[in-house]
Amino acid sequence: MLDKLFYFIMVPMVYVAVAWCVFWIVVKIVKILRAPTTPPTLRIFPDDKGPEDRNTGGLPAALWDTFTMPSVLKYNPLLWVFLVVFHVSLAVLFLAHLDLLPQVNIMSAESADMIGNGAVGALLTASILYFLFRRFRSPLRELSIPADYLLLFLIFLLFLSGDLISWGNSWSESGFGLAKQDFGLYLRNLFAFDLSDPRQVLDHPHYAIVVSHVFLANLFLLVLPFSKIMHVFFAVPMNALRRG
Amino acid sequence: MDGKMKQELLDVFASKLNQSVRMYMDNCARCGACIEACHVYASSPETRYTAVGRAQNLRRLFEKYHKYSGKIAPWLGEAVELDDNWMKKVYETAFTCTGCRRCMTYCPFGIDTQQFQAMAKAMLIAADMEPKVLSMLADVSVAKGENIEATKANFAEACRQLEAEVIQKWQQEAGKETIPLDVKGAHVLYVALAGKHSIIPAAAIMNAAGENWSLSYFEAVNFGAFVGNPVVTKNIAQRIIDEANRLGVREVAICECGTAYRVMRHMTGTHDFKVITFLQLIERYLRDGRIKVNKAVNNGRTTYHDPCQIARNGGVYEAPRYILSRLTDDYVDTNPTKSANWCCGGGGGLVVVGDKDFRMMSAKVKADQVRATGAKVLATGCENCHSQLSDVNEHYQLGMSVEFVSSMAANALVR
Ligand code: SF4
Ligand code: SF4
Repeated sequence: MLDKLFYFIMVPMVYVAVAWCVFWIVVKIVKILRAPTTPPTLRIFPDDKGPEDRNTGGLPAALWDTFTMPSVLKYNPLLWVFLVVFHVSLAVLFLAHLDLLPQVNIMSAESADMIGNGAVGALLTASILYFLFRRFRSPLRELSIPADYLLLFLIFLLFLSGDLISWGNSWSESGFGLAKQDFGLYLRNLFAFDLSDPRQVLDHPHYAIVVSHVFLANLFLLVLPFSKIMHVFFAVPMNALRRG
Repeated sequence: MDGKMKQELLDVFASKLNQSVRMYMDNCARCGACIEACHVYASSPETRYTAVGRAQNLRRLFEKYHKYSGKIAPWLGEAVELDDNWMKKVYETAFTCTGCRRCMTYCPFGIDTQQFQAMAKAMLIAADMEPKVLSMLADVSVAKGENIEATKANFAEACRQLEAEVIQKWQQEAGKETIPLDVKGAHVLYVALAGKHSIIPAAAIMNAAGENWSLSYFEAVNFGAFVGNPVVTKNIAQRIIDEANRLGVREVAICECGTAYRVMRHMTGTHDFKVITFLQLIERYLRDGRIKVNKAVNNGRTTYHDPCQIARNGGVYEAPRYILSRLTDDYVDTNPTKSANWCCGGGGGLVVVGDKDFRMMSAKVKADQVRATGAKVLATGCENCHSQLSDVNEHYQLGMSVEFVSSMAANALVR
């Protein structure tokens, strides 16, 4: 029974979660595109721009605002540090997961370490804990809703389960029971729509931890389109509106 | 609230879900970066006065009526039913916010609280809960547009009665009209407010500059924008656009009224004429040497309050500063200033709505800011701000003199 559940989580549920996530992201984007257009301008004028200044900086300025968050740096530098650490680490984490594929070799093919040797996960986990705990303090506590806490908690568990794997491989003598290369084979099979049982390539008692990690990742993908994480897609357009 | 009314309000709510609002509804991270931005919160730290707190009042309705999560697990996003009680929250979103958009400069996404405010105001109009004084004034403006021919003679007579006061400030050459009306081919159509303080200094300055100008029959203020009715806003602006087109003017100069300027300049599309603030016109006259001013007339350290709709939301920062640099040697900027300047607390129609206690409470941070400049003269370029700052000056016993930049310039005119 447990084997069946593990198989479901590791193979069909992954496909369902990815398809669900992509489908609803597209629906959300289409819904916004089909909504009535915004008022003529929502522009805010920086101190050095006058009303005749047609050069609003356009997309480059919106990208700059999105990726460097100058307003947060100015008014809340500590939050800015954690936001930057979090987002940069997230980008590295994405690369680290790509690097699991046998075809991609950012780290050497034989290396037991993920990119960052476990530090990326540590930074992400620390940031997520900061984001979570700052919500326990007033005034943010009054403004937070249950979804904010649950989402952060889900991401925290997701990171922690990933940390167990990468920290085990990078930071302990005996290592995690399964190596990076094993995950590579599992991922390759998934990409190839090979529906065989992942146990064949991930045959170790630590398998349950990998299943937990994948389960949490699946959950994350299932809720993503309905969560505020959709700002991944809308932060640039929203900033472009402010730039005019 | 009966079912029919509820549906009507929900329809209004849905009709306001344009692209930007939909993005703002879904993507606020509730990161709290905007908390400190609002002058109301800075003056009285209650979370309902934060930008995100106000937006949540509408976001919870969105959650309930426009999101699957709100239907399946309403507790997740704290979805709420629309009822009479919740409409009080909607009122709070609309009329404790001045629409100054300072919070937008704090938010990493640039979420525009004024869009939520507009949505809330539309719902209040549908529920007949908007401040009646604003709707009434907006209706009067529209009616005036429809009956302009009937009122022209009275308006011309009223202008004639102001001529002596204009001449006191600037003696026109013989044969030239002091307050010209209906001038075909005028270079400038000046749109004033319904008050002589907005006409006399401007007339003196334009006459001193030898401008070929015409006074608009219509007042600049757009109560449609204050009350949040886009149709009425457009109708009120359209009267001026039609007049400018009929006269074939090159420029429409809006008097010192922030909302009127922003609506005309940034929200009515492009025209055959340019829209500028009167501040920009004075600046040009000074730079071109068309008027001269005497610094000795204005005494005491002077500071300038950037009206939100002219500065942050309108882009006019340098013109008033240039004018003041020609009027005094003792100018000091407020801190923060320009796009970061604190709102005076009177915008969004709040000065007209009349809850003075709230306005004074929310302006504490403004009072502290201007007091810290040590200035004796507080200049500004907006009627709303001027009214609010005059009240703030009195309430907080700042001992300042609150002045329009145009009045200061007109009083300092020399040949
Ligand atoms: S700063 Fe922007 S994203 Fe953050 S809580 Fe305020 S409105 Fe929401
Ligand atoms: S627009 Fe101004 S008044 Fe309204 S929430 Fe933002 S900062 Fe406060």
